[in-house]
Amino acid sequence: MFEFKIGEELAKPGATGGLYDLVVIGAGPAGMTAAIYAARNSIKTLVLEKSSLGGLAATTELIENYPGFPEGIAGAELMDRFQKQARRFGAEIIEFDEVLQIEPVKQGLLRARTDSGEVYEARAVLIATGSRPKKLHLPGEDEFYGRGLSYCATCDGPLFKNKDVVVIGTGSSGLQEGLNLLGYAKHVTFVEFLPYSPAEKILQKRTMSHEKSTFYFNQQVTEIKGERVVTAVVMKDRATGEVQELPTEGVFVYVGYAPDTKFVEGQVEMNKWGYVKTDGKMHTNMEGIFAAGDVRADNVAQVTVAVSDGTKAALAVREYLAVL
Amino acid sequence: MALLNEEIRGQVREMLAELPDAVRLVVFKKPEDCSYCETIEELVTEIAETSENVSVEVYDFTQDQDKVAEFKIDKAPVIAIVGARDYGLRFFGVPANYEFTTLLHGIQAAGTGKSIQLDGATKDYLAALDKPVHYQVFVTPTCPYCPGAAVMAFDMAVESDLVRADVVEASEFPELSSRYNVMGVPLNIINETQRVEGRAPATMIVEAIESSL
Repeated sequence: MFEFKIGEELAKPGATGGLYDLVVIGAGPAGMTAAIYAARNSIKTLVLEKSSLGGLAATTELIENYPGFPEGIAGAELMDRFQKQARRFGAEIIEFDEVLQIEPVKQGLLRARTDSGEVYEARAVLIATGSRPKKLHLPGEDEFYGRGLSYCATCDGPLFKNKDVVVIGTGSSGLQEGLNLLGYAKHVTFVEFLPYSPAEKILQKRTMSHEKSTFYFNQQVTEIKGERVVTAVVMKDRATGEVQELPTEGVFVYVGYAPDTKFVEGQVEMNKWGYVKTDGKMHTNMEGIFAAGDVRADNVAQVTVAVSDGTKAALAVREYLAVL
Repeated sequence: MALLNEEIRGQVREMLAELPDAVRLVVFKKPEDCSYCETIEELVTEIAETSENVSVEVYDFTQDQDKVAEFKIDKAPVIAIVGARDYGLRFFGVPANYEFTTLLHGIQAAGTGKSIQLDGATKDYLAALDKPVHYQVFVTPTCPYCPGAAVMAFDMAVESDLVRADVVEASEFPELSSRYNVMGVPLNIINETQRVEGRAPATMIVEAIESSL
């Protein structure tokens, strides 16, 4: 019944400094894959991560569609393996330092300034900052974050043992994490804006047939209510206009994702949602700056796709450095 | 059946092979209402089997009052991780899943008397502390960010005799968790008043300590 894991995410050596061939921004699947390929090709690589390693993938309880793991693998464990592989080839990885600005100095020289005041110099930069869970932008959301409202069922699910919880959003992430919550909670109520669930069929089947689940479709959530902690979710039926209050102790929000690209706004070309435009080799419009993974425009947010992007970007960087 | 498989056992053996100081894992069990007490005892026993430097002592929280007082234990089950001296490292609940990492790093920290991830400025700050700091970290076994937060607490406790670090498996201590409104992990509580949500860098914890003093 118990599992015991040994993680290596705690080793935290500083950067060796000097001029890097490649600075990768973001240590999710795209960034770490690029680091594996680049470092293995003797490209001096530094990965800068604003938070903890692994990106969104690390907060996914179980990844079932990453090839090579027929039983599925915990997102955090998969990301730990990516990280070990990147370090093995000599990539340096720094956590908890956010890149605030990329400054082109001259051809073949870029500077990345970070929140801690460090300045890293690189010949090429890869933006692999991914995306983060979208907020609802509703009354009560910020107030009750960490007080019953959560964006990480994997982390916080065990705190809701035998309690009633609500999952807002029934896309694949909402249902995958809802399934995880069904293991702890007394009852899980799913609320969806659309008249149907856009999730993978297998996840729909598993959650909808579960005895502890209830689904509401075509509902607009209007408020998270509480008193010190969450007490209810208020929703309005989009067809009938009927307003209903669901009493609950926990709310988990899975309503899609938004990119983390504010720091390159006005520099790198983006689409109207803030995703970075690239060509098929992951070049952005700016020389020496590449992008890969969820952050890229018209992409699908999957670990396999991020891995593919990271690979292409590392090879394009190698080509670029060779002619610089 | 053993809790730790051969592969994990091998890794543990390697991690604990060269500790300069002996480490005592002092477990306090409760006679009643403790579904995981046996698991905890079994786990620390298996860890001790991998290393000559690690030993286990088991006490009863309700009976062994002298030991409860010696280690300043206020709730159980708990593992006190004691090195050359008692640096104040405590793990409350079962250190399962990701939290196994926290326990191992606690043993390493206690066995070396050294922190793992603190920079010079943070160590200097801790060395100059003149008031006690009670640093609690609430975690769950399935939270991948939690060991990072917990190890920060253990590191700070090793660097300063005035800091004691309680890592608490939140779902096993519902009353304490509700006292601090723990509904998201990791959650750091400094001196009962300062609240830092998430795995935070050392600078943020230092700021919270400052505000609490």
